[in-house]
Amino acid sequence: MKEENSRRSFFKRVAAAVGMVAAAAGTKTLISRSIDSNDGASEKYAADVAAQEKAVKANQLVVMTDEEKQQRIDDLLNFHRQEIA
Amino acid sequence: MLKEKNNALKESDEPDGLEQGRRDFLKHALTSSAAALVAAPAVVGASAEADNPDADITVAEYFQGHFLLMSDEEKKKSIARLEKRYSAQYKKKTTVSDVEAPDGVLFGYALDISKCIGCRRCVYACVKENNQSRHDPTVQWIQVMKMPKGNIAFSAENLDKGYPRKSEFGDYGVQVGGNAYKTAGLSTEDAQNYYNDDAVPDKDFFYMPVQCQQCEKPPCVKACPVRATFRDHAGVVLIDYNWCIGCRMCQLACPYHARRFNWGEPNLPAEEMNPKTHYFGNRPRMRGVMEKCTFCVQRTREGRDPACMEACPVGARKFGNLLDPESDVRKVLATKRVFRFKEEYGTYPKFFYYIG
Repeated sequence: MKEENSRRSFFKRVAAAVGMVAAAAGTKTLISRSIDSNDGASEKYAADVAAQEKAVKANQLVVMTDEEKQQRIDDLLNFHRQEIA
Repeated sequence: MLKEKNNALKESDEPDGLEQGRRDFLKHALTSSAAALVAAPAVVGASAEADNPDADITVAEYFQGHFLLMSDEEKKKSIARLEKRYSAQYKKKTTVSDVEAPDGVLFGYALDISKCIGCRRCVYACVKENNQSRHDPTVQWIQVMKMPKGNIAFSAENLDKGYPRKSEFGDYGVQVGGNAYKTAGLSTEDAQNYYNDDAVPDKDFFYMPVQCQQCEKPPCVKACPVRATFRDHAGVVLIDYNWCIGCRMCQLACPYHARRFNWGEPNLPAEEMNPKTHYFGNRPRMRGVMEKCTFCVQRTREGRDPACMEACPVGARKFGNLLDPESDVRKVLATKRVFRFKEEYGTYPKFFYYIG
């Protein structure tokens, strides 16, 4: 009777362990299926590039006057010095 | 016999029996948990090991902090982990440098749009140098825009013919005459990125490569909730790929849309991988992180020029130190017709377009 009990409890333990491992594997498969998929990556990347094109089109380049150029250099150098300080 | 049976039943009804049952249950639970703990990493790591020869390295990477806040010892360990992993993954000796930005330098870039022929050699050199994903998805940090020549709406000859003219009080710009009744600049309307010409340049068009403007006041840095992107002391905006959480706030904040997100697992063939890398630069990125032009930090921090500049066959690109008045960039700013974006949003880009 006791022997049978211990065998049964052993099988129970094995079954429980196998069940846990199977559950872990199943969960991992479910998660990784969505993570590993590259579906639509190219389209999403193309959309990013299109957004850049749109941003450039919406903007305009204007010529800087000599004063503006000097001002820009002065500003950049001042900001840099502030950052370093 | 009957008495014995009754005794046995009685014993099993007693609290001792209950205790036994609880103990058994706890034993089972513990055994199962231990088995799951042992088995789960093996199961979870199984697919990782297929791509990654050392899964433990990946686990260690999950727990590392921001590179800038690491101690020297932690940095060494982190670099060693990456070098080991990349070397095994790409089957070639890969180095990951953490050389710091040189002192007394503020990097700036200038591009001559009158010289650019739209050959896209800079794009291909950038992809090759910076280990960008080759296909599905293809990631490029430089986009070359093709624009009709009619978009230049100012005449260089007329630029100084406006009124009031230059005086000892300064140049007040064109107000009357000259280019006063035209937009003094370059319209980007009708720009197209996906041109596929048999031969370049097309005589009716000019070309404008667009990439990260390396702003002095970068909005992307302000938008990053975890400070994964930052500006180094040489003025270059960089990303700690391991610290990036992939929220894409920086991409939304960038007015020039110069950042690229790794939507898919990057596809970098081992034979095309550049093994000389930098932690903040061209080391292979992972899915779900942001990337962008770094002025080739792995080169420029060692005194070399960016790959795009080296690749340009017509010398349209100039790179240098804005703190040095004798540098090419400063000379361009001093002597050429330099453009700025009409809407800069106070970002102070350090990437200038000019006409030589």
